[in-house]
Amino acid sequence: MARHRGPVLVDTNVILECWRAGAWNALAGGYSVETVEDCVIETQTGYQRRRAEQQIDQAALHASLAAVHKVGDRERAAAIVRDSQVSFLDPGEQSLWAHALTRNDAWVLCGPDRASLRVGVRLGLRDRLVALEQLLRDAGHGAGGLKPAYTSAWHAKTIGEIAIMEGPRRP
Amino acid sequence: MTGNLIGTRIKALREERKLSQDDLARVFGFKDRQTVSAIETGERRVTAEELIMAVEKLGAPLDYFTNPFLLAGEGSFSWRQSGVAPERLTAFEKVAESWIAADRTLAPQVGRPAPNLRHALKLTPKSAFEEAMAAGERFAADFELGAVPAARLADVMERRLGILVLMVDALDGISGAACRLPDLDAVLINRNEVAGRRNFDLAHELFHILTWDAMPPAHVEEATEYSRNRVEQLANHFASAVLMPAAVLDRFGQPQGEMLAWLNDTAEALQVTATALKWRLVALAKLDQATAKTIPDAALRHNGRDVAGRAPPPLYSRAFMDVMALAIKQGRISARRAADLLDITIDDIADLAAQHGVDVAIEL
Repeated sequence: MARHRGPVLVDTNVILECWRAGAWNALAGGYSVETVEDCVIETQTGYQRRRAEQQIDQAALHASLAAVHKVGDRERAAAIVRDSQVSFLDPGEQSLWAHALTRNDAWVLCGPDRASLRVGVRLGLRDRLVALEQLLRDAGHGAGGLKPAYTSAWHAKTIGEIAIMEGPRRP
Repeated sequence: MTGNLIGTRIKALREERKLSQDDLARVFGFKDRQTVSAIETGERRVTAEELIMAVEKLGAPLDYFTNPFLLAGEGSFSWRQSGVAPERLTAFEKVAESWIAADRTLAPQVGRPAPNLRHALKLTPKSAFEEAMAAGERFAADFELGAVPAARLADVMERRLGILVLMVDALDGISGAACRLPDLDAVLINRNEVAGRRNFDLAHELFHILTWDAMPPAHVEEATEYSRNRVEQLANHFASAVLMPAAVLDRFGQPQGEMLAWLNDTAEALQVTATALKWRLVALAKLDQATAKTIPDAALRHNGRDVAGRAPPPLYSRAFMDVMALAIKQGRISARRAADLLDITIDDIADLAAQHGVDVAIEL
């Protein structure tokens, strides 16, 4: 598949998984990767909510990202009013969606939690959702060793399940 | 609730601030109060600009209007505690609210709604202690609590009465709490207490849930079996009878042999405290009061056992973890948000669910 040329918005889960799988440089080097401040905070020890925490140097992470966006109440309010399910996400995931919904360029969002994917489907943005494995393969990087939720097959299956569950409705 | 969360919160804050709908219409710049009314009832959706105006003009954070895991003044708590500073209790109550609000919000979404009906005991503050004990005996019989009532009580409360029962890591000094919402009842128990204390607290809080309208409990009460407050005394008598019905105690015969050992062994078998057993026997005239007073409570501490190595029950409950697991599976809450709520790691969610026999795969 052709490599995506626009911005790639990533959440905390994706940053942590890339770091764990040794794929961060491939992702950040292959795309214009952006995130939000809340996600950067959640990658730091004490905030990762993972059993084995990783040491991620915040300065190095910032340096490798094309942009780190600050998200305020206005963006967050607009996202929640647009779909109340945004409020069932964690702060990083909320902020990433709130930021994404302010943009009108060709962004894609890589955030594999089912609830985050569900927001994308509900908002009619299914085509903007992308699996980490696909991004890495399109960038010419091997994508072995990723946990299930980051694979293309899991992504396609889960998006399909969510689409069936949601039906044709839109918020 | 989630359908009109923002409108509900605006109404709650307006009422807390003692503002009329006309007052609020002026704050928002609406031409009449009908628009406020429509927002509060959910007939009209709030725009992002109006939501920000609510944040700025009413001085509450955005989270107050949008966080589905807050109770925002909807719940009444009664804490059973000893020596916990009010500010620490208030902070812990906020955490407890988030668990209860999570269940209240997510359970209906995943097909586990709270029951339509609410049970109540036919007791009043004027009821005699004997009547409270009779109610406890009857509860144990009606709900078939069996030979060891303590072992089945939490399950009956959740499955038969629809009461959310959560085993939690509470602050030192907190034994438990009862919480009443318009549409949900909940009991929190400090899982780090010894089993006998946990079970007594559970039965005690059950009394408050079942008598909340007739005898609303105080927000804070002392965790003691010797309370001077009449409602608390009634609760203690009810709890004793639920956990130690006369028919169950008959199985053990008359107290015999070395009294301390008999009390401790029997209490251990019934998963109650030996102190509670002692006074239950007095109430049933199986032990005379003078003899009971010669048995020091200190000798009955922990039923004479070394409890240091005993593991507490798993956090929360099966029903609660079932709701959380379904909500994660269906994408109704993100795993990271759930981990925050449960105060565990994302990886621990599956392990905790498994401890309750609930299956959830966290594939992140």
